[in-house]
Amino acid sequence: MESVLKVILSSGVGRAGLALFALLTGISVYVLVSYPLDYGSRVWYNPAVWADNPAVKPPIWAKPGAVPHSVFLQEEPTEVRKASTGERRLYRFEIPHPYEKPPDSLSLTLTEAVYYSRPPLLTVSLTRPDGRSVRLYRYSPPAPRPGEEAPYVRHRDSPHRVDLGADPQVRAQVSAFLRDEYGLRLSANELRGRLMEILFGEPTSPEERGGPAAFRPLPGTYALEVEVTVFDRRDRIGALQAVRGGETFGWMGTDSLGRDLAQGLLFGFPVSLIIGILTSVLATLLGASLGIMSGYLGGRVDLLIQRSADVINNIPGLPLLIFLVFIFGSNLFLVIIPVIVFFSWPGLAIIVRSMVLQLREGQLVEAERSLGATRWRIMFRHILPQVGPYLLAQLIFFAPSAILSEATLSFLGLGDTSLPTWGQILEGAFRTGAVYRGYWWWVVPPGLLIVITAVAFMLIALSLEPIANPRLRRS
Amino acid sequence: MAILRKLLLRALSLIAVVLIVLVLVVVVLGATGFSDRILSSVISEEMRAVRQQLAETIRDPQELERALREQRRELEAFYGLDKPWYVRLPQDVLRVLTLDLGEARTVATAQGSKRIQDIIAERLPRTALLFTTALVIYFLIGVWLGTLLATRPGSKLDRVLSYFAAVSFALPSWWTGILLILIFYFYLGGLLPAGGMYSTPPPEGGLARFLDLAYHAILPIFTLVLVATGPLMYVARTITLNVAQEDHVTFARAKGIPEGLVRRRHILRVAAPPIVTGLILGLVGSIAGSITTEIVFRWPGMGQLYFQAVSGQPDESLIVALTFVYTMLYALARFILEILYLILDPRVRY
Repeated sequence: MESVLKVILSSGVGRAGLALFALLTGISVYVLVSYPLDYGSRVWYNPAVWADNPAVKPPIWAKPGAVPHSVFLQEEPTEVRKASTGERRLYRFEIPHPYEKPPDSLSLTLTEAVYYSRPPLLTVSLTRPDGRSVRLYRYSPPAPRPGEEAPYVRHRDSPHRVDLGADPQVRAQVSAFLRDEYGLRLSANELRGRLMEILFGEPTSPEERGGPAAFRPLPGTYALEVEVTVFDRRDRIGALQAVRGGETFGWMGTDSLGRDLAQGLLFGFPVSLIIGILTSVLATLLGASLGIMSGYLGGRVDLLIQRSADVINNIPGLPLLIFLVFIFGSNLFLVIIPVIVFFSWPGLAIIVRSMVLQLREGQLVEAERSLGATRWRIMFRHILPQVGPYLLAQLIFFAPSAILSEATLSFLGLGDTSLPTWGQILEGAFRTGAVYRGYWWWVVPPGLLIVITAVAFMLIALSLEPIANPRLRRS
Repeated sequence: MAILRKLLLRALSLIAVVLIVLVLVVVVLGATGFSDRILSSVISEEMRAVRQQLAETIRDPQELERALREQRRELEAFYGLDKPWYVRLPQDVLRVLTLDLGEARTVATAQGSKRIQDIIAERLPRTALLFTTALVIYFLIGVWLGTLLATRPGSKLDRVLSYFAAVSFALPSWWTGILLILIFYFYLGGLLPAGGMYSTPPPEGGLARFLDLAYHAILPIFTLVLVATGPLMYVARTITLNVAQEDHVTFARAKGIPEGLVRRRHILRVAAPPIVTGLILGLVGSIAGSITTEIVFRWPGMGQLYFQAVSGQPDESLIVALTFVYTMLYALARFILEILYLILDPRVRY
């Protein structure tokens, strides 16, 4: 074990591979600690989670000047004022907007309102960098139905969402705002589709204007304020979420369902490492034990194992892999990994057998035998340690092909959907035609991560060449 | 004679592999109940025709139902659906062997036939075309580059290409294909087509058609060559390098044999058989690569058929047929390479 580590560290390739591997492991540990284990079904494949996200937006670093899509969530009020009956609770969203462009949209979502007497009243207003404030929208959850008992629960399963850039109420309010503040008379109809431009800008001066009303962007910090007037102190508001729609999203962009690709890519790290390591450990164990048995026991066992190894070695892997996973389902741990292991062990068993054939005639084994050691003891206590370093090298050789096999299966749509992988992200991209539309952020990173992970293992494997290739060692 | 015996032995063992895969597929299908489902869909298919036929002669509805039930029972007995799967095994093996698997769900040939035999017969040449062309190209390039690098180990070119070999081993062919589409179709404004085998509508005339086919085949073949050349080149380089350091080469040089002759007769001739072995070992990967490459480039061969069969409404019969045909294809390709190996290696001819 120690000697193997020394061999890896003695070469540049080995050090690079090990460093890469350490990095991948670090990220995986972070993900395992911070993500829920049922992330796949609960988050990634759950459309409700991504409802507020924009579809196919590039990452923020790809378009530096563009408005990023941002989500602001508040579960507790920023300020509470007592009133004669009940309370006024203020939710304040600070929206930094240093861009020379209005956002694509602005929306507000109310999740869960519980009240005891009268429905609470929500008043939404926007305070701009120039100090002007616009009242945008008022809302009360539905009143109690006849026969319903307090507390009255609203919007728990279907949150109330308002698109502040298109709501007729907002249009009327903005029309009034323009009239009062700038003396501009624009009907609510003329404002259709221009609300964001007006709210996040100011009218150009009359000299510049010339023609119809035009607006220039007003960069600065905006504040979206939601005042909730409750008529009973026990009333509760679950959460308020403001979303500014933009052209870019997060560190890795989004896919066509609005999923945050950064999250999916991160979750792929531990999954692919687990696939690589688990498969190679199992394949090595199987190949080594069968190889040792085949070499040491000889006779009919040897014949059986070697014939099976020959046959499996001669089966084209992928078609059979597709067939078996298709029939038995795509559970990662119960089907995909065992099937990959089943197709991986023969090569190792054949080589280990030939090594054991030499060792069997050695003096150590002869001495053991004369002392009365059982066959199993000799095989696994004396022969195994001697082929050990070679097995360790082989272990690492298995990992990249296992990772690639799983990725290919996922790409064919046979992946285990309870555990999102890079292959599955690519499958989604290919199926929806992301390639032909040039959504590079959806197509390039997952594939690159597959390659990097496989290369990390291969660099380590390359540095173990002197151990893995006994012929080289002798010379 | 010895060489014939060797070949016969290899052929027999490959046939054994095909048969074992066949039995494995049939047993898995039988034990999981898939086989029953395929058969009953075949029977339902035939029953529809029978119903139409009988409806013309038998007017009484009750009489008709009875006749139909009778007919169905006969068909079930004919296909062996009245017996458990393990009794039916030999029959099922024969059915898969002749691809007599009924009809595909949605896929059809250009003539509109939905019979699986016809579909495979239409698609197999297309797959073979892509696969064989790529195989020949990457074999030539890989061996040429590998032996070239072996003559100057440690040079800058050698190091660069060695790293390329390592990376290309880790490169999934489907992702490479996607990247190439992104570059040559999307960013270079449709310089090369993103997929398909012919333009729509296909051009008239033999030569124009052929050129159109070649134009569509550039990217898929390039993909296959790109991912397969690296590993083969690396194998060829290592083997040639090992041979070049052997005593008989030094001796040949000492005898004063010209360098070119030494390389051809004393190095390459000896290195050739193990290089072919390297190619044989890479064959499994090439088959897998050709399946996914067809999918990415919508090349209407058997690989793409696989994708259609597993996605959407899965088509079991097609999956069985394809698994079997690919096993055959692999065995055949492997056998051809074995022949090549025997021709190249004089030692096995004793």
